[in-house]
Amino acid sequence: MPARSAKILIVDDEPQIRTLLKATLFRAGYSVVEASNAREAINAKGIDKPDLVLLDLGLPDRDGLELVTMLRGDPRSALIVVSARDQTEQKVAALDLGADDYVTKPFDTEELLARVRASLRQRLASEAERQVVEAGPVTIDLLARIVRRDGKDVHVTPKEWDLLEELAKHPGRVLTHDALLRSVWGPAHVGQTEYLRVAIRSLRQKLEKQPSQPKLIINEPGVGYRLIAD
Amino acid sequence: MDAGQSEGDLSAMADAESMSLHMPLAARVQGYAGALAMVAVSTLIGLWIAPRWGTAPVDMIYLPAVLAAAALWGIGPGLIAGIGAALCYNFFFTTPVHTLRMDRVTDVVTVVVLLIVALVTSRLAAGIRQQAHIAAVHAARNATIAGFAGRLLSCSTEEQIAETACEELHSLFNCNAILVSGLPQPHVIAAVPAGNRLTPSDLAAAALTLESGEPAGRATPRIQPAEWQFHAVRSSGTTIAAAGVARDDGRRSVDDDQLPLLTNLLDQVSLALERARADADRREVTDLRERDRLRSALLSSVGHDLRTPLTGIIGAAAELRREGGKDTDLVSTIETEAGKLERYISNLLDMARIEAGAVKLKTEPVDLIDAVSAALKDLRSGLSNRDVGVDLPDDLPLVRADPQLLHHCLINLIDNAARHSGGDGRIRIAGTATRGEARITVEDEGPGLPQDQERALDVFARIEGSDRTGGAGLGLAIVKAFADAMGAKVTASNRTDKRGAAFTLRFPKSLIIQAAEPADAG
Repeated sequence: MPARSAKILIVDDEPQIRTLLKATLFRAGYSVVEASNAREAINAKGIDKPDLVLLDLGLPDRDGLELVTMLRGDPRSALIVVSARDQTEQKVAALDLGADDYVTKPFDTEELLARVRASLRQRLASEAERQVVEAGPVTIDLLARIVRRDGKDVHVTPKEWDLLEELAKHPGRVLTHDALLRSVWGPAHVGQTEYLRVAIRSLRQKLEKQPSQPKLIINEPGVGYRLIAD
Repeated sequence: MDAGQSEGDLSAMADAESMSLHMPLAARVQGYAGALAMVAVSTLIGLWIAPRWGTAPVDMIYLPAVLAAAALWGIGPGLIAGIGAALCYNFFFTTPVHTLRMDRVTDVVTVVVLLIVALVTSRLAAGIRQQAHIAAVHAARNATIAGFAGRLLSCSTEEQIAETACEELHSLFNCNAILVSGLPQPHVIAAVPAGNRLTPSDLAAAALTLESGEPAGRATPRIQPAEWQFHAVRSSGTTIAAAGVARDDGRRSVDDDQLPLLTNLLDQVSLALERARADADRREVTDLRERDRLRSALLSSVGHDLRTPLTGIIGAAAELRREGGKDTDLVSTIETEAGKLERYISNLLDMARIEAGAVKLKTEPVDLIDAVSAALKDLRSGLSNRDVGVDLPDDLPLVRADPQLLHHCLINLIDNAARHSGGDGRIRIAGTATRGEARITVEDEGPGLPQDQERALDVFARIEGSDRTGGAGLGLAIVKAFADAMGAKVTASNRTDKRGAAFTLRFPKSLIIQAAEPADAG
């Protein structure tokens, strides 16, 4: 947790949801600003300069995806979509437009807090903190380009490293299949999900305790992968 | 519509057509009488002129009378006028006067000329009258067709068109009219007078017309014993209906000379029917599009409206648990039940999508290890203390599937196993790849399926009216529907090793992604 308590803007038209989110976030030590529609959200974004926005897509005055684009202009503030829309197309669209993560309602509050922490860490962590990522028994040293499991070096192929590095640069955040394919295999390979599946399976063989029940590299069906960091 | 007027149109037309041949007796008598009267008047004028200026101009006096009679009343009265004029001229004005003898050659020439004038004029006049009659007939026919088309134009549905067409045919031809369509069993679309029935031989005639497009029934070469005569209503080469005409007194309802008119009228009926059909098609497309839009709007708003309060309940229960009150059992109950509710809502929405035909397939290569672990993660609150064994070999091939549909299939299969496994029964999830098929089997330690194999397949059917099965019944039906949509199969059987049921999701060879490129490719 950073020294200054991070400020979070909750954008949701349902007062009960705002109350719930406010209670949860207060307890976790964050300060909270609220907005019940898109207009208030844009104002609050400008005035309160939140570190993170929790955005509901079903707002009365503007389509949520449009708002994602508008709020994403600022690199200092993270954005997590919190929506009852559970179709994968919606999730991928929001992530493609620049949302850091996507949580579906009803959500597990602990999981939501984990996503909030992961997204804030991305924005607030120091250089040194970003260089080494710990995930369970696995340590990924991004600067030295070394991955260790239980203290022992693990050999990974160049492509596996590229993939692991991409995941470790955004610990805890979901990266879409196409975003991973683009940054690891190149734009020509977008859509060739089988490459990704094979590489992930191989990485799990090397890093997971039980590769068939992964705990470190987790899949969101139809959306993408996330690395669960400590 | 105005039946009287239509009838008037047609009878006027009939008059015009038959005028030259079937002129009424009174009119004929009037013609001859008029001709004779004109000759008489001409004679009187001649008798008045002759004493004053001599008989030379008198022959000219008769000429207008002959011309007028021939022009006005045709050849008969014209000739009568010519002969009458010749006789009168001969009798009153040629010497010897008051005899029919003619001494001078000029008098003979005058009489012959009068007769020739009568003949030629009457022929000319008759020709002109004939042209006028034909024009009148055509005008009347066109007016009839236009009136008929106009009345059909005001109808918007096929039923209205059929009804109006029958009424029109009824009043135009003064006969019973019926419209029939459908093969092999023709049925009546409209009839005037209403309630007219067809005998089997009439139906056979109607079927023949519908099939061949040729007239059939009474007074035709085909199926003569029928009471009705049928004519085809054609639209772009195909017969779309048959129009029947009949009279209660058994006489022919449409004369041969009226057949072209009937054909024209039936063409109008076909045009009107085509237009109504095109309109209906267009309306249907618009309706469908609107229904689709409403359906997806409704599904997404129902999802939103149901999930939002549930989010509040689940979140509040989690906060209560964290605060550490003494009623932890109650909080657990809230959480468990809210979790079930969430799954029911999700299943209801899935079922609504399936039944509305709104399931969209978006397949990609899927790792079954990913699919199973994601399903277990989403179900973790419902499986809290249960022992779940996962056995997925490293060489399990990738399959082509829709990740979201597969996710819902697995959640429902695992949830179903948890529901039937009793308090702490173990669930086993195993993956196998044999004989060109990839399989995920979910086994429970419940009571198993009824022995009857037929019943085993029934478990996937949605069980109507059973509150016992509730969300569970829905869940397996969803598994089946989604598996079908993806081209996969789901089967149910009893475990062979111990008591319990086993549900298997099978991906055929065609869905298996054979040899993926090496990870370092590209």
